[in-house]
Amino acid sequence: MKILLSWLRDYLDIQMPPEKIAESLNMAGIEVEALHQLGKDIKGVVTGRILSREPHPNAEKLSLCLVDVGEPVSLSIVCGADNMKSGDIVPVAKIGASLPGGIEIRRAKIRGSESFGMMCSKRELGLSEDHSGLYILPADTPIGIDALKLLGLDDTVFDISITPNRGDALSHLGIARELSAIFNLPLHRKALDESHGDGEVSALTSVTMDAPQMCHRYGARIVEGVKIAPSPRWLCERLEKIGVRPINNVVDVTNYVMMDIGHPMHAFDLKKLDDGRIVVRMAKPGEKIKTLDGNQHGLESTMLVIADAKQPVAIAGVMGGENSEVDDSTTSVLLEAAWFDPVIVRKTAKTFGMMSESSYRFERGTNIDNVPIALNKAVSMILETAGGKAKAGMIDAYPVPHHVKKIVVRPRRVSQVLGVSFKPEQIETILNRLKFEVEREGETILVGIPPFRHDLEQEVDFIEEIARIYGYDNLPTTLPSIMAPPRKSSPITAIQNRLRDHLVSLGYHQLITYSFISGDIPVQMQEGLPLTLKNPISEEQGVLRTTLMWGMYDALRRNILADEYDLRFFEMGRVFQRNGENTVEPDRLSIGISGRANPRDWRRCNEAHDLYELKGLLEGIGRLNGHVLEFRNSSRDVFHPSRQMEVRVGGFLIGCLGQIHPRFLDNKKMPAHIYLAEIDLSGFAGLSSQTPRMKPISEFPAVQRDLALVLPIETVCEDVRQALVTEGGTLLESCALFDVYQGKGIDPGSRSLAFSLVFRAGERTLTEADVQPRIEAMTAVIEKKFHGKLRAG
Amino acid sequence: MSQSVETLRQEFRSASDAAKDSKDLEAIRIRFLGKKGAITALLKSLGELPPEERREAGARINTLKDELSQALDNEIAKRGATEQEQKLKVERPDVTLPGTLPLPGSIHPVTRVAQEIADIFLSMGFFLADGPEVEEEYYNFEALNVPAHHPARDMQDTFYLETGRVLRTQTSPVQIRTMEQMKPPLKMIALGKVYRRDSDITHSPMFHQMEGLVVGENVTMSDLKGTLVMFAETMFGKRPFRFRPSYFPFTEPSAEMDIQCIFCHGNGCKICKGTGWMEILGCGMVNPKVFEAVKYDTEKFTGFAFGMGIERQAMLRYGINDIRLLFGSDIRFLRQF
Ligand SMILES: [Zn+2]
Repeated sequence: MKILLSWLRDYLDIQMPPEKIAESLNMAGIEVEALHQLGKDIKGVVTGRILSREPHPNAEKLSLCLVDVGEPVSLSIVCGADNMKSGDIVPVAKIGASLPGGIEIRRAKIRGSESFGMMCSKRELGLSEDHSGLYILPADTPIGIDALKLLGLDDTVFDISITPNRGDALSHLGIARELSAIFNLPLHRKALDESHGDGEVSALTSVTMDAPQMCHRYGARIVEGVKIAPSPRWLCERLEKIGVRPINNVVDVTNYVMMDIGHPMHAFDLKKLDDGRIVVRMAKPGEKIKTLDGNQHGLESTMLVIADAKQPVAIAGVMGGENSEVDDSTTSVLLEAAWFDPVIVRKTAKTFGMMSESSYRFERGTNIDNVPIALNKAVSMILETAGGKAKAGMIDAYPVPHHVKKIVVRPRRVSQVLGVSFKPEQIETILNRLKFEVEREGETILVGIPPFRHDLEQEVDFIEEIARIYGYDNLPTTLPSIMAPPRKSSPITAIQNRLRDHLVSLGYHQLITYSFISGDIPVQMQEGLPLTLKNPISEEQGVLRTTLMWGMYDALRRNILADEYDLRFFEMGRVFQRNGENTVEPDRLSIGISGRANPRDWRRCNEAHDLYELKGLLEGIGRLNGHVLEFRNSSRDVFHPSRQMEVRVGGFLIGCLGQIHPRFLDNKKMPAHIYLAEIDLSGFAGLSSQTPRMKPISEFPAVQRDLALVLPIETVCEDVRQALVTEGGTLLESCALFDVYQGKGIDPGSRSLAFSLVFRAGERTLTEADVQPRIEAMTAVIEKKFHGKLRAG
Repeated sequence: MSQSVETLRQEFRSASDAAKDSKDLEAIRIRFLGKKGAITALLKSLGELPPEERREAGARINTLKDELSQALDNEIAKRGATEQEQKLKVERPDVTLPGTLPLPGSIHPVTRVAQEIADIFLSMGFFLADGPEVEEEYYNFEALNVPAHHPARDMQDTFYLETGRVLRTQTSPVQIRTMEQMKPPLKMIALGKVYRRDSDITHSPMFHQMEGLVVGENVTMSDLKGTLVMFAETMFGKRPFRFRPSYFPFTEPSAEMDIQCIFCHGNGCKICKGTGWMEILGCGMVNPKVFEAVKYDTEKFTGFAFGMGIERQAMLRYGINDIRLLFGSDIRFLRQF
């Protein structure tokens, strides 16, 4: 919203610099986003009369003008505009003048003709966006005077952003009222009434209130014999400076009143109203209206309309209808000012996608007391700008009168909330400055909720007003005296923090990908039916992810297509799954691998990676969190059929890993060896882990033995290891695989597994005699149970 | 004879001084102390002396022998160490060849900033609470004093799910869920993803927020200021700050906190749009209507709440000019952190 400093001065005698005004508004909660001092960059612009206009000899679209700027020598100026004629008075930027945007006017030769200055459009002066032609000034404008003051360019526009609670501040009066409170300045308001006029308004029209709950008050006045024409210059200029396009002298007045006191108005052509009367009612099913923007709307019975005897002529508070529009032939106007229910206006405006200046204000709540004030102001202005005669009196249909509610403000509560004590007198003074009605009852203060402030409902709302005017910066800075009990962070947070650091130190980069993804992603990367967004930004982000797979695959793929092949990624985030009526949001971890772990390894000792790199990573993750993971064969469609595993803890499924299925290698840049894993961290956090118990460390030396076995190829390592552990008995301290071999020297159909065994006793030094029987028992079980044998040599 | 001993000593000294390496020293040993060396020759010449002089001369030669052999050993040990050192120095590594352990990966810039902020509040005695991202409208709006059809809903363009729930537009619903389960005194923060229907270079439909809440007896707006100033000074260093009135439906009074622009130190620059100030968070005293929703005694308890966006802080700190980079998973971007 744009606010004009000169307009504020209608209400306030405010002389401080605009910067100071802007800062004070900011510090009172009225955000000034920008401040434009209009004529700041303009210098050397004067009024001039065009003495002659001739076509440019060398350019069809240019003219050659001789301009009198009140100096002995008239200026010859080349001009590209086409709306001027000899005799017009226009703003002229002389040689040496400067204009907004850093433009300097110099003597110039344009298509062979010398030009000694420039005649200006409104846009060139920063007055409005209008660049259709030169700014033609009234014929009685003196020549050769500085245009800055004349055009009102010695003014400041504040660009203000108002929070949704402050509907009362959406006008010049509203901002003036704020400033009056901030600076403790008197607010001047002129009282107008409706007593004068030519005959009674009630003889000409009537207002029927069929929906009083939606429209508490509806006021109407009539002016007859108006002559529709462009508005006078001062009115156009004020509107243009705040970004409102002038239309005609009646419509401009209604817009002016809205920007002035914040009350939206509407003007009907009285003669176009059927039976010349107004009915405020709910729309009937099937009714239609074509609004002033040219769109046709089908109305619903939940919408409030202004109708004549026959049909809707406006959507209440949102927009007028074409059928009752004021146009050039209008002679009688009926002016409307009303109070509409904020919710119904908002719903209707939303339904039609038609947010207007009017609906914006009604939604935020208007001042019901402004109904007569707006009408009287508009009538007096129309008489001035469009002539005609007003009817005396107004129709003031007011079936639901507003009662001022009173709120108790306790000084004790004020200090309880703000942390600084206020005397009742201090509070009273501040509330008075805000134009609230205040009564004292001993220590307590009774404040009436003013009709312009719909955001004030409870004691604390007034406490905010007190703090705002007192100044937030004047409150002390202290620390809370409360001591809240300490709490541990949740298990999931602890796991996430631990894993994040672990993975990063192993060379993995953390990703954060969007929670919403396309509904069209491969079904293999989903788990169950995803939750769908009703109003996504795009189909690409239409559903919530059910796994982290797609985000990881997509991240790897996009990097590979950008020629980055060596990737180590992880992501921790939530996935969203249906659970009957409810949604569950397990936290997950995904890991993605492509290319080499360390492309910087110039010695090439660390080049190959495979499923077991990822498996090892997961084993480590399990260990970090106190769990031994179990890996089993699995058959997920997202993975290569024979290169995948699922991960369990105590039989409980918590994740999977594998090489991506070749079907997803849809670009020849993509290497086959892309590995993905996904772990359910919530599942992890829910498992109770074993607290380690320390075992005593033996002081006696160990006996080490390596055992190389040849076994049928289908025999799995862990079964063999378990059997060795069992046979090893209590003396076996550890048993670990250290080599797998297949090929020369080994029967096809077999492979060699080599284990490193460590035997140790807690209380003595072991001898061969202790270990040999154990080795023999192991060999026996390998032969009997696994049909294997010791590897020869 | 005494002359010969002295001459030999001199010869040895000059030879050993001239020796360049252990090879030369070995030659010296042979020349002086070898089986056919100068000392042996001297001892052999003892027979030519009168018997009464032999004893003394013999002793002098042996002293010389010990002396030379000791000096030679010392010299060899010294030279040897130096030579070893020299040899080791020849095997100089190329310090510019890269190391072969993988470089660490990276913590996402959003996580880095979020953790830093969270750590400050955790150290001030707050605890980290949590809530769902798919939220009931009640928790996201009504319980936070944002009724349906209120213009405040325009402040946050909401994603709706077909099930009727919403993606939370703020972390504030965690306040409600926490207060429903715990009684004051309470000091919590919540951190997580939030969603708004908004997308350009400074707005992402998904971003991260941190929320804080303190409730108890005699918790005041001055306490709010003190707590947040302490946070800001820890995070950004000691610099001027200000609190401006603002509007959030769930706080009353509401404020926004600005700190002096960290880039221009208040002189005005592009980043602070010439104001010299940077908005860092929104805050306020908990609206009694919110306490009513969670059945807290509004007369007894007061509290304050605050919330801040993480992405903006990360973008400012690391000079990231497009928010979409944060969620684009581009290794060339991630590697920089
Ligand atoms: Zn700055």
